[in-house]
Amino acid sequence: MDTIVAVATSAGRSAIGVIRLSGPQSLVILRRLLAQESFIPAPRYASLKQIFRESGEPLDSALITYFEAPHSFTGEDMAEISCHGSPVVLRNVLDLTLRFGARLAEAGEFSLRACKHGKMNLSQAEAIRDLIAAQTDAAATHAARQLNGELSSALQPVKDKLISVIVKLESALEFVEDDLPELDVARTRNQLQEIAELFDGMARTYAAGRMLREGLKVTLVGRPNVGKSSLFNRLLGLDRAIVTDIAGTTRDTITHDLSLQGVPVSLTDTAGIRSAGDKIEEFGVERTQRAMVEADMLVVVVDGSTELHAEDHSVLKAARSGRHVVAINKSDLDQVPGPMNGLPHVPNAIHVSALTGAGLEELTTAILEPFGAVDSESVGLLITDSRHYDLLRRSQSSLDDSVIAFGLKRSEELVLVGLHNALLYLGEITGETTADEILGQIFSTFCIGK
Amino acid sequence: MMVFDEAFEVIVIGGGHAGCEAASAAARLGAETALVTLNLDLIGQMSCNPAIGGIAKGHLVREIDALGGVMGRVADRCGIQFRLLNRSRGPAVQSPRAQADRALYRVEMRRTLEHTPNLHLRQGTVTDLVIENGRIKGVVMQDGRRMAAKVVVIAAGTFLNGRIHTGKRTYSAGRAGEPASIELGETLKRIGFPVGRLKTGTPPRLDGRTIDWSAFEAQEADESPVPFSFSTDKIEQRQLRCYIGYTTEKLHDTIRKNLDQSPLYSGQISGVGPRYCPSVEDKVVKFAEKDRHQLFLEPEGHDTNEVYLNGFSTSLPAELQQELVRMVPGLEDARIIRPGYAIEYDYVDPRELGPDLQCHRIPGLFHAGQINGTTGYEEAACQGLIAGINAANSVSGRQSFRLTRDEAYIGVLVDDLIMNGVDEPYRIFTSRAEHRLALRHDNADERLRPHGRQLGLVGDTDWDRFHQRRERIAVAKRWARDTKIGPADSAYAAISEVVESDISEGINLESLAKRSGITPGVIYGLLPVEAQSVVGQRDLESALADNLYAGYIQVQDAANRRLKHQDTMRIPADLNFRALAGLSHEMVERLERTRPRTFGEARGIPGLTAAALSTLYVAASLRS
Repeated sequence: MDTIVAVATSAGRSAIGVIRLSGPQSLVILRRLLAQESFIPAPRYASLKQIFRESGEPLDSALITYFEAPHSFTGEDMAEISCHGSPVVLRNVLDLTLRFGARLAEAGEFSLRACKHGKMNLSQAEAIRDLIAAQTDAAATHAARQLNGELSSALQPVKDKLISVIVKLESALEFVEDDLPELDVARTRNQLQEIAELFDGMARTYAAGRMLREGLKVTLVGRPNVGKSSLFNRLLGLDRAIVTDIAGTTRDTITHDLSLQGVPVSLTDTAGIRSAGDKIEEFGVERTQRAMVEADMLVVVVDGSTELHAEDHSVLKAARSGRHVVAINKSDLDQVPGPMNGLPHVPNAIHVSALTGAGLEELTTAILEPFGAVDSESVGLLITDSRHYDLLRRSQSSLDDSVIAFGLKRSEELVLVGLHNALLYLGEITGETTADEILGQIFSTFCIGK
Repeated sequence: MMVFDEAFEVIVIGGGHAGCEAASAAARLGAETALVTLNLDLIGQMSCNPAIGGIAKGHLVREIDALGGVMGRVADRCGIQFRLLNRSRGPAVQSPRAQADRALYRVEMRRTLEHTPNLHLRQGTVTDLVIENGRIKGVVMQDGRRMAAKVVVIAAGTFLNGRIHTGKRTYSAGRAGEPASIELGETLKRIGFPVGRLKTGTPPRLDGRTIDWSAFEAQEADESPVPFSFSTDKIEQRQLRCYIGYTTEKLHDTIRKNLDQSPLYSGQISGVGPRYCPSVEDKVVKFAEKDRHQLFLEPEGHDTNEVYLNGFSTSLPAELQQELVRMVPGLEDARIIRPGYAIEYDYVDPRELGPDLQCHRIPGLFHAGQINGTTGYEEAACQGLIAGINAANSVSGRQSFRLTRDEAYIGVLVDDLIMNGVDEPYRIFTSRAEHRLALRHDNADERLRPHGRQLGLVGDTDWDRFHQRRERIAVAKRWARDTKIGPADSAYAAISEVVESDISEGINLESLAKRSGITPGVIYGLLPVEAQSVVGQRDLESALADNLYAGYIQVQDAANRRLKHQDTMRIPADLNFRALAGLSHEMVERLERTRPRTFGEARGIPGLTAAALSTLYVAASLRS
């Protein structure tokens, strides 16, 4: 039996957010969260503990309660962790438990385990209601279910368009001897393209949606001594990081939560990247590289008052594969002449000064810009659920397959594979479309009947 | 204790397409079998259009053949116009269809049955079923004879409480000129089966001598016909033409003016008709914007003048039909031999059945064909085959036989019927099969021959043929992979002109076959002579098709599997639904009627609430 984990409280900001673990590994995972390998909890007693990142950085203080099998909700070893209710904190704690060996619970799985261990009998309505969501409703969470109604109705016109193309292609296959109008190839291609774009447009709102819900991981990187920690402190508005003139002062990653234009951001300062001088710094650089991979947005900091170093170029190169902006720091000093500080053309470079605060607003805007408009009213529907995002992307990529097959003049049954798959994925949000419904549409659209 | 006049192991009621397959299969599997029919001279009658196969239907015929059924062989001997439909499309949606000589089909089918050991033909009308302690024991005939049976298959077609309509006239009949089976229909209701009413129709038949054929466009048979049966080498029947014509606006107007005479529009008919086979009245009313509708003139056989007017199904009064027919260009002087009519009949909710087509309500009783709400000879025949196999297996104590949705159209059809029931006559379509690309007509042998062999319906000769073909396909695959064509080849210039992309680097035949514009015939021509001497074109086509679809099938299955990941969880057969707390009486009834074996099947039950499903899920997962 594996160990499962889930956020037990509803999504969004709240005072407290509870994460539940159930399964034989619960205690082991709990110990790693607390960085206390020998921690022996008193079962069913709550205690206040610090939760640490893997880096050793404190993440949150939480009220933890351990339950020993069989005296728990599920009948298994369980841990309940009541964190502060920030989505960023919860996501981080959840990520840690996953890294320590837990797996995300299917909706209703806690209740199912409770049933299996005789903790709950079938007539207990709560368990069953949980399972309703798990097994039959497309929605995995309560919040997503509420959204479903809105999302379904937004998707309905797209689905109708998709079905109308399916109907045309299917009837061409099924009723070859019936006197059907010939397929308008150009029009069909346009329709397919249009549907793919609609999927894409909706999926694109996910970045903004997720940003609002979960916050962004923004990480400052750069070679040593370009002023990352000064910029970090300036953005936070407090002296969190130690700032000196000695290159390599920051030897570990430091993370702090803040709000940038209303968006929750988890900002990380990293050790400067260079060929390491000593062992400790080597660890720091390793952590920096990990932080770069995990970040939603990298801020590459360079020094505008000196020529670029080889190390600057290697950082820029490393950052290029992900989302990033370049902050040309120290704009308060004399700048090296030439366009963009001698940088190869970088469109998203901003001149800032950590000392005076100049350019910080532009930098903030540039950080948030790729994630779309944050004002949900201005964009209408936002995809916030990762499952919905995943399904939309799958629908879109299925449809792309069909567009290609159609372009290659493949036979209809091959073009239809992608269309039917798109409909299947869409159906997980909006409800299934049966073969009978499609046939019904064919019969009402065309006069069939040799 | 009832005294019986004769005793059999299996009795099949009805000698149509379902009944013939059921009786033949049961007898060949060793069961002493009687086929009881109203009129022995009408065994294997095609009551509607004189054609077998068509898209998806042709798939069914080939599957029946691969399992060891008889329809494909008989059709091959009687087919007078073979056409492979959808030739321009991919192999998965191509399907064979043949016009058949109606009279010859009856003769051939009867001959086939008469040469079947253990099979006994009996003429008579079954009026009652003998049921003791809830189990079937035999049947009672109109003339008082009683026949004992361990199992009974009802394949009564449109005869159950059949009622014909032409105009305002209506009378009891099973088909034109044949009596309905009223007592048996009433017996089924008395037993408590949920019985509904369906409707179907048929067009008038014309005297071919009165048709101006020059006014129609000829439709030729294929030059090299593709047979239905994997055992057929060559189609022997001389091939005929069909003809295509059109209705006119004037004809439409006349129908509209006379709609009050149509029993469809006067409310006289309550049964639900098939939407894909509308009457000409329906076409004119529902698609009023169309200025003409297509008609097919189909010959009924070599030795008859009778012509079937396909597309003109109607229940208008006979004299009006004559007037309307004459409004078709080319039919100005045509005379009707038999008027069209609509027929209403009883069907039993197929959700009463298990996947073996046995009734939950009466063990030992099987239903096959139109009684289950289907339409079509092929749909009927494949159910007959499944029911016949399971009837014999139930007698001999063998395990019941079923096909799944991913291995055969037959599996799709049976599953659709028993899970969803019907609300109009059910016809098979390729779009009903979510595994469409894998279920090709040409690989029915690969999919089903081993089943047929294991059951005992496929003899040594056919089994050897199957292995030889398998081997040839494997050889064809190797040649297609290893044979390359490049600028040095003589055929290169012609090929590179058809293929729009650059192939100057050389391309093997397997990849070339995937390009649009390249037919399997072209590829076959490119094979070396030594390959052609071993591999036939049809073998190569199957080899190429496997290759063409492989990637797409993966994509198709990935999406399907995602949906079904919990659907395979088994629901224990002895799970007592009534004992599950939290299930309403109605939900228990729905579950008991369908008896889902997996969670997926339960999910497919209409009207089952989410709460009921989750209760079931918990109960089933606790037991597993």
